[in-house]
Parts: sequence; C-alpha cells; structure tokens
Amino acid sequence: MRTRLSKLSVLTVLAAFLVAVAPHLWAMPPTLWAFVAAAIAWRAGAEVANWRPPGRLIRVGATFLGLGLVILQYGTLWGRRAATALLCVMLASKLLEMYRLRDGRMVAALAFFLVATQFLFSQRLELVLWLLASCWLATAALLRIQRDEDAPRHVRPGHRAAGVPGMLRAGAGLLAFALPFALVLFALFPRLGSPLWGLPEEALDGRTGLSDEMSVGEIASLFNDDSPAFRVTFDGTPPSRDQLYWRGPVLWDFDGRTWRRGFHANRPIDREPAIDDGALRYTVQIEPTERRWLFALDYPARWPDDVRVTSSFELLSDEPLTTLTPYSVVSEPDFTDTPVLTPLLRRLATELPDGSNPRTREHALTLRREHPDDAALIDAVLRWFNEGPFFYSLETAPLGRHGADEFLFDLRTGYCEYYASAFTVLMRHAGIPARIVTGYQGGFWQASDEYLLVRNSDAHAWVEVWLDGRGWVRVDPTAAVSPSRIRDGARSAVPGAGRWLDADWIFGLRNQYDRLQHLWNQWVLGFDAERQQSMLRRLGLQALGVTGQAALMIAAVLLLGPLAWWLLGLMRRDPRSDDPAERAWRRVENRMRRRGVRRAPSETVREWLPRAAAAIRNGAELERLAANYVRLRYGRPASEPALRRFIERCRRWRPLID
Amino acid sequence: MSSSSSSSARRFPDALRRRLARVFDGWLSRRGPTRPPLTLHYRQVFILPTAFGWMIALLLHGMLLGSLNFNNSMGLLTTFLLTCMGLLSLHLAYRNLEGVRVEAIHSEPVFAGQSAEVRIELRETSGRGRAGIVCLLPPDPPVEGVDLSASGTALAHLVVPTERRGLYPLGRIRVRTRQPLGLFEAWSWVHPRTSIRVWPRPAEPAPPRPEASSADRSNRPGDESDEFHGLRGWREGDSLHRIAWKASQRHDQLLARQFSRTERGRLVFRLDTVPVADVERRLSVLCRWVLDAERDGVDYGLDLGWTRLEPDHGPVHRNRCLDALAEHP
Repeated sequence: MRTRLSKLSVLTVLAAFLVAVAPHLWAMPPTLWAFVAAAIAWRAGAEVANWRPPGRLIRVGATFLGLGLVILQYGTLWGRRAATALLCVMLASKLLEMYRLRDGRMVAALAFFLVATQFLFSQRLELVLWLLASCWLATAALLRIQRDEDAPRHVRPGHRAAGVPGMLRAGAGLLAFALPFALVLFALFPRLGSPLWGLPEEALDGRTGLSDEMSVGEIASLFNDDSPAFRVTFDGTPPSRDQLYWRGPVLWDFDGRTWRRGFHANRPIDREPAIDDGALRYTVQIEPTERRWLFALDYPARWPDDVRVTSSFELLSDEPLTTLTPYSVVSEPDFTDTPVLTPLLRRLATELPDGSNPRTREHALTLRREHPDDAALIDAVLRWFNEGPFFYSLETAPLGRHGADEFLFDLRTGYCEYYASAFTVLMRHAGIPARIVTGYQGGFWQASDEYLLVRNSDAHAWVEVWLDGRGWVRVDPTAAVSPSRIRDGARSAVPGAGRWLDADWIFGLRNQYDRLQHLWNQWVLGFDAERQQSMLRRLGLQALGVTGQAALMIAAVLLLGPLAWWLLGLMRRDPRSDDPAERAWRRVENRMRRRGVRRAPSETVREWLPRAAAAIRNGAELERLAANYVRLRYGRPASEPALRRFIERCRRWRPLID
Repeated sequence: MSSSSSSSARRFPDALRRRLARVFDGWLSRRGPTRPPLTLHYRQVFILPTAFGWMIALLLHGMLLGSLNFNNSMGLLTTFLLTCMGLLSLHLAYRNLEGVRVEAIHSEPVFAGQSAEVRIELRETSGRGRAGIVCLLPPDPPVEGVDLSASGTALAHLVVPTERRGLYPLGRIRVRTRQPLGLFEAWSWVHPRTSIRVWPRPAEPAPPRPEASSADRSNRPGDESDEFHGLRGWREGDSLHRIAWKASQRHDQLLARQFSRTERGRLVFRLDTVPVADVERRLSVLCRWVLDAERDGVDYGLDLGWTRLEPDHGPVHRNRCLDALAEHP
C-alpha cells in the first residue's frame, strides 16, 4: 500500500480545487486571490519539476500569512465572505504539505464543501454546471487517490481507472448514477418550515440592491447592474407599465446630503386598505439582498405573516433575505393614504436643514406666491422641469453642499435621484409635506411565461407629496423630464450610453436566459416546505406528516434502486473488454453481424470462421485476421507494434459482398 | 511472586482475546464457509465506512443541516448528490468483492529469520473486472492490491516475517477493497488451511559434521559416476534423471536406476550427540549439517528421538529432515 500521492493524483486534486475555488476567487480581494493562485501554481510546479517540499517553518509561515491577509482584508473572520475566504486560504496553505494520501483526500473532500458554501452567495442557474464540474473533478481525484492506495503491482494495461480519461469516465459514471437519486431526495426530503436558527446580522456582509438611505448619486451604480432584483407573476392582467412603481424604503429625514428613513419610520400601520375589485394580486420572488426590504405596488392590503408593514406602507421581512424568497401580496391602488396629517408628521415632512439651498428656497417662495394651491404649484414645477432646459442623464456631476440649488439652477442634468431630491427640497421650502420613495420602476414583461422581470437597473426614486383630501400622492419628477424613462426603462432614456452589451440581440438573449432562470427559481430554488406540501397535495398525499414523507422518500429510492440496477445490467450487456485486441476484433465481428453473419455466444472464433468466410468475397483476409487475433488474444504476449498493426487492420477491414 | 502475578495479569487479556477470537471465528464459520476454496458472497462480505468515510459523513451532515436551515436549494442538491454518490460507492465496494473466489493459499517453508511469502490465489467468477483487492493479515499493514480481469486470476502476495522455528498457523486473512472512492471498506475473512513452516536458522558457524563410520573421503558429488547397481521402483524424491525411461516403459511402472553406494557407510545425525547445550542451538546445528550434507551429495539420516529418518538424499529428503527439525517439540 502506498501512502504518498502520485503525480497524477496531485494534479487532479489541484484541478478539482482550482475549479471549486474559482467563483470564490472572483469575489476575493487581489491579495488573497494571488495567495491562493500562487499556492496552487507552486504545488503544481513542485509536482512537475520535483521541487523540494517546503520546511515546517515555511508551511506554518504561509498559514499565518494567509490568516493575517484575511483579517487585514476583511477586518474580521466573522461573516460569510470572510469565513469562506479563510477556508480557501487555509486549503491553499494545506496544498504546501499535500504529499500523503490523506491530505489529498482532505483537500478533495473540502473542495466539495467549498462548492456548497458558494451557494450561500448565489444560486444562479449557471452555477449548476459549475457544481457538476467541480463534483466531477473532485470525484475523479478521489478515484485516483484510491488507485494510489491500492497501488497494484501489475496494472492491467487496459484497466479503466488507470489513466486520466478512464478516471474521468468513472467519475462521470458515478455522478450520472447518483443524480436521479439526488433529485428524488431533493423532491421528497422533508423541509424545515421555519429555520432552526437565524443568520446573525453581522454575518451578512455582502451588500446588493437598494439601501435604506439615499445620497444623491448613489443609485447610479445600480444602473449598471443588470442582475435581476425580483420577478413577479400576476393573478390576472398586470397593470400598465407606468403604474409599476415598486415601493421600497420611504425616506423622510434630510441632512443636506443624505436622505434617511428617520426614527419614527418603523411605526406600525394604522389603517389597512379595504380590498375591492381593482385589487392587484401577485407573487414576487425576490433575489437575496441580505436586507429586509420587500417591494410592493401601492398600497399593500394583504401580506404574509412573517412580514411587517410600516405606517409608510413599507414591507419589512422578519428575517434578512438570504435566499431566494417568494411572497404574495394583494395591493389596493384605490386608497387614500393618511387623509389627516398629524402636526408631528407635517413637521417631519417639511423639515429641512437650516440655511441650505437658499436659491431653491427663494424660488419656492416665489412659486408659493404665484400658486396658493398645492396642486397648481406642483403642476407648475413639473411643467418647469418638462419645458425648461432639464435633461435626463446618468452621466452627471456630483453635487456640493447646496445640492438642490446647484442642480436646479446650474447643472440641470441628472437622473431620478437628482430630480427626486431637488423636487422634495423645493416642495418642503414651499411648505408642502413631501417624502422620497425609493424602489423600482417598471420591469421587463416576459410575455411567453407571463412574468415581470425587474432588474437592479430598474431602481428608481420618486416623490410623494401630501395633499389635503387626497393624502399622500405619488409625483415622479423624472417622468416630467424624460417620459421615456418611465415608458421604456432607464436604458432607453440614455441615448448612446451603450456598452456593446446593450446591443438589442444580446439584450434579447439575456431576456431569454432569464426565462430559464425564472423557471429554475420557481421549481428548484423556490422549492420550500410550502411548495413541497403543495406538490404532495397535488399527488393526493396530503396528510403524510414528516414520518410518512420520509417513508415515501425511502420507498421512492428503493424503487429507483432496481431501476438503476437494471440500467447497469443493460450497460454491462456489451461490456467493453479490457483487451485492446478483443475490442478491435469485436469491430470486425460487428461488421459481419450487420452482414447477417452473427457469432453465437456459444461459438468460438474458429468454429464461426468457416461460416463467416464463406459468406463474403474476402474470406481469406478474414481468416488471416482471425488467426492473428487468436494468436494475440490467447498466445504469448505480443509486441506493442504488432498489436497496433492488428488494431489498425481491424479498423480498416470491410467485408466485401458480391 | 510479583513476577508470576504480573505475567498472569498479562496473560489474562491475552487469553480473553483468544477466547473472543474463537467465538468470532465460530460465528464466522456458522455464517458460511471461510476456508478456501470459497467464493465470497453476501454472507461473507462485511462493509463499513472507512475513517475518511466517517469524515465525509460528518461533513455531509453539516451541509445538510445548514442547507435545510436556510432552505438553500442548491446546497441541498449538492448534499444529496454527494450523499448518493457515497452510497453508490458503498454498493460498488460490495460489488467489487462479491463473486471473487479465493482458490488457495500457499506458503513455502523458510528458515527462521527469513520472511515467509504467502500466496493467495484469487479468481474472478462473475465476468466483471475487479480493481484494488488487498489481502492482509491483521494487524499487519496492507501491502499492494491486485486487479482481476473478468474471469481472470491473480496472485496476491503477503510477506510474514519469522523469528523462531516451528509451525505457525496463519491467522484470519482479510480480503478487502476500498474501491472506488475510499469511503467504504468491504472485507471478508478467510481461514487458510495451511500453516507457515519455519525451519531452524542454520547455525553459523557450526561444529564440524560427524563423518560416516566407513566414509568415502572423497567429496565428489553426483550419482551417475557411481557404479550401476540395478533398478528399483521409483519413489517420490528420486531425481528425475535417475528414472530409467526405457526400462520403465517395458515394465509399465517407473523404475529408477540404483547406484552402488554401499561403501559410503551410514551417516545419521543424532540430536543428543550434537556438542551444544541448548536444544534450539542443537537444532540449528543439525539444520546446517543437513544442508551441508545435501550440498556435498552425502546420504544422511536424522534421529531426533521422537522420529527417525533413514539416510537418503535429494531435495525431498532434505525438506523432510528440515520439517522434522521445525516440528521438534
């Protein structure tokens, strides 16, 4: 028995590790990235060029260097990114001492684990391919290592797992056989209705999607992010595009630069909308954001139990969204939000920092004098935006201390945040209660599968003003400047901003791909305890309970077992011979079989030969081949060139029929 | 007194272990045949996870719990895929051993201090190739494994170091495989019928060999140069070139030429005449004398008290003598 890894094993383990670690490397800072890559490269070099194994001091030093780098880069070892980076770095330093079989096995096994940790960050469809590829390679590595351990003195030349192709084939076979069983387990393994423990908030370190505050100029980074934010399926016809305002965080407090929700924002809702015929019923599947925000249309009237609704009709999930999460909402567009504004809320909705934006204040007071009516004043401002020299562009300048002043009177070029912020400041100066709503606007309608795809690039900010008798009313100043932004999405509103990826056909392709992703999300990722139960109900297996379900699962696996056994038998019916001469000869026999001369299992080659030779014109050639074959198969071991010549002749040979 | 109590304390767990081994062996043989030739079937094949297998199981449990808790579908899919592959490898490990036939187990006698080689003859009976079948004698570490082609045979080798002369029954031989992934070990126990025969170590240096009473001083080896005396029935142990083929054909039985060697006298090594005190040392010296006499072509006999071998020569006679030395009580 050998205890040390062969060259082939080391290289296979390295390949498996490289593939498993690749997506993690993608998300790592360059120093860590370089550390892991250097360790892999060094180990591969050491194996190929026979470099000396490093001493203990170097190994321990490398381990501590890796640990130090992780702490330096992340400031902590807590949190998913830092923890997985630590795992990658530690495995990389393990490579330096990977010489024994058990070390190789350890790295291969943890490569499996690395695969699973990647799904804490993303579960996109394309990662399935990566999952299969890494499992495949790691399995091949384990096969190869076991081969090392057995270290047979005489390896049969044609043995299947001997070389790289054989090993990969064996690995693929294992994977292919395991897959159907895995799918049965996936469908029937009892799921947890509610988690046993929650993820600590500090552990959530990735930040994607909308935040709960807004500094002007911030959403811009989202516009370049074409990744899906959420997908919506409607019961019934979806509302028109210009009504698709997906409300997220509502911002009240302004310090001159940044809009925040404010301390009172978490008050619970005080009046729920009544549902009538015009109510919209829909289900949203939101991609993980690691925040609690859920998005809904005006005004949510029914929501899931684990969701809280604030007085501003914001939806907050009880748990941060760490996986793809579905939720169903009923929205009632026809509703008056806050018919009576309390003095406190009025003060909060008109508060501005002292002494900021003097020109805006001047302009607001002028407008106020011209338009004593709030609605007329708003109309006037929107008209000014629409007819005046205001432009919509993602490429604009950052704003200074008097942001609204600079924007309204100098810059006049910007996107939704600029308009929303300046508009709200103007309203508040004019004494009209106003607040900013952030969220998403519009989305892409996948007509074939009837769902709405909302991307992060659909992020939007708009304004709600409070009007006497009408409550909070939505005003979108961006729409006044650039109606196409609302009609066709942010992309169309910015002419010529195109990266090459914006070409129409690529965009179309990506929308097609998103359909697959949507199905994947619905049927695989969104397959939770609830969906599992509904599947069982549809199969007529309502009241199974966990025990019954487990029994069902075991029964299904047991049923699948004989099926697999049978398939295995099918595959064995014409087993590939270990002997290359026999494989070549079978080619000849197969050609003869197609001519109707089949060798019975009970017949020897010599018995079959006269019959076969008589049936064709070049029977003499066949006889020579057969004599050759019998000598190679049963005689003394033949030389390699003789064997190759025989194989070549068998390949070329064709029966000639009169 | 203290020494006797400590030795009995040492013996007790030993005795217990032997007793347990006997109980286990009894149970094993009640399950089915364990002596070669035997084909390994489900009654003979045991299977358990290896240490690495347990580690993977722990890892998978962690992954399962984590994925279930966060309802991470891809994590679950990974966990299930790996679990199923692991369980499949259990099945494959079993299939790799099941249907292997242990035809025979041999070992050649060796001198004390040499390593005995045990050869285990394996045959594949189910028409599918096997890989990495390892035979070992616990608690010895395993040596290299063998591969079996479909319906083929292979020899597995075991090396057993020896120290003292005697007959050593081979313990249970473990025929095992960890293919394909090293997660599970399937094994069978085989009880060999043979023992390892260990001859005494030839003494070096040895006291001079006694001479025959009326010895021919020439050390000239060989038979054919001796005077032809007659024919006698061929006995096992006679060398093949002493067979009188033509005469045998006429008489329908194998006849050996006999040469006149009467003048050499009778040389019998007696245990009690060896000029050394210790019995083991004496046996060693006898071993050396037997080997030397055989080399010199001298007829020799052996008298150990409990058995007596008449003077003769040839490899078979030599081995018979050495066996007697090994078995000396």
